[in-house]
Amino acid sequence: MSASQSAVRSRAEAVKVSRTFDWLILFTLFFVVLGGYHIHYMLTGGDWDFWTDWKDRRLWVTVAPIVSITFPAAVQACLWWRYRLPFGAVVCVLGLLLGEWINRYLNFWGWTYFPVNFCFPSNLMPGAILLDVILLMSNSFVATAVIGGLTYGLIFYPGNWPIIAPLHVPVEYNGMMMTIADLQGYHYVRTGTPEYIRMVEKGTLRTFGKDVAPVSAFFSGFVSILIYFLWHFFGKWFASTKFVESV
Amino acid sequence: MAVTTESVKADTAEAPLLNVRNLILGSLVYIVFYGWVRWYEGVYGWSAGLDSFAPEFETYWMNFLYIEFVLEVSTAGILWGYIWKTRDRKVMSITPREELRRHMTHWTWLVMYGWAIYYGASYFTEQDGTWHQTIVRDTDFTPSHIIEFYLSYPIYIITGGACFLYAKTRLPTYQQGLHMQYLVATVGPFMILPNVGLNEWGHTFWFMEELFVAPLHYGFVFFGWAALGVLGVVNTEVGAIAKLLKKDLA
Repeated sequence: MSASQSAVRSRAEAVKVSRTFDWLILFTLFFVVLGGYHIHYMLTGGDWDFWTDWKDRRLWVTVAPIVSITFPAAVQACLWWRYRLPFGAVVCVLGLLLGEWINRYLNFWGWTYFPVNFCFPSNLMPGAILLDVILLMSNSFVATAVIGGLTYGLIFYPGNWPIIAPLHVPVEYNGMMMTIADLQGYHYVRTGTPEYIRMVEKGTLRTFGKDVAPVSAFFSGFVSILIYFLWHFFGKWFASTKFVESV
Repeated sequence: MAVTTESVKADTAEAPLLNVRNLILGSLVYIVFYGWVRWYEGVYGWSAGLDSFAPEFETYWMNFLYIEFVLEVSTAGILWGYIWKTRDRKVMSITPREELRRHMTHWTWLVMYGWAIYYGASYFTEQDGTWHQTIVRDTDFTPSHIIEFYLSYPIYIITGGACFLYAKTRLPTYQQGLHMQYLVATVGPFMILPNVGLNEWGHTFWFMEELFVAPLHYGFVFFGWAALGVLGVVNTEVGAIAKLLKKDLA
């Protein structure tokens, strides 16, 4: 091997360069995916994620998993199928949660003074871990879509239970029965409040649960399966390395 | 230095493969600048940004907007012009080591793109949500928009354009045509800026800040997906770098 033909001077330098690229790639991938995933999630499920009074037993449970399984499915399609890296879903959700937590603390609280216990983000991590584990163990995107997608939807509400349960305790206020979360919203009126009131006054959202949450989770899991399939193929397309002559 | 040793000590006369100083300084430019912007928002958002008909709004916010327009157009023109003007006209004849060095520089640019996308698509976009949930807008140029749409988005567009141009003008890997996913990863997020036109047009009819998930905002979502084009760029880069290092790592 001559120095003129080789990009590096030794095997040790090759290893060092390779590790350096790993870090540069991981950093860029993490933050670019974070940006894309966050703008997608905040504009398709954001209102349910921003406020505790929107974190209800039906719509939040349904919407959040369906719209959040997208990027994990796409990134898994690249990281697992090309590199056998079994953390596509977790890396997406870690990025999303980092972006959300920084924002909720520095901007929701730091700029517009909503307390953090009113605007903390949903916990998507249990579903992401299960999605990655199922892909790792099955090595099958169909199994991951069907079992993982369903699990992703089903685990969302239990995964958030320890955080949200104290805020779903009933309370009587001015002669009206509501949850602690509703009461938080009552004291922090936002421009989104009219829409929220229109939604919670329908159906069973004020009935304190019973069958609503499990049924919603099951429906969410069903749609998550379909969304996983779709986004797996989106991910494959985004991961392609094709060149075109002109555009 | 013998090529057969396991030493990683670089030739002192030669430029380093990765310029760590540029990487750190570049990152600090984004972090410090956006830290200052956030401070400005905190102070002048509340004191001068609530009523667009007030004289102080013109002073602190509209002037900010005019200045950023001028700076952004100048920066894009100078930066992109410089990268294009200093392009390598014999890019296919560079040595493997020089190619490796350029890949490192390319990734320094991509790290900057990571910062720029984070601040634009994540930090300032969700921040806009909490501003609208608090303040009813009386202008398209509300303080959060002056930062989000007209500062942070142009900055990631300029950074993305610089990445693409650097790769196209200096790396043999990108000489076989236009890399589809690189275009998607830079042009897609760019399209979020023109989509502001749809957004503002829609908001002249409806005060939909009461609902952040309103369908009017789905244009931002669609073009946000394009960030995933970075997967294709990563795959191409991994292939190119592996080719350069493979025989040494074997």
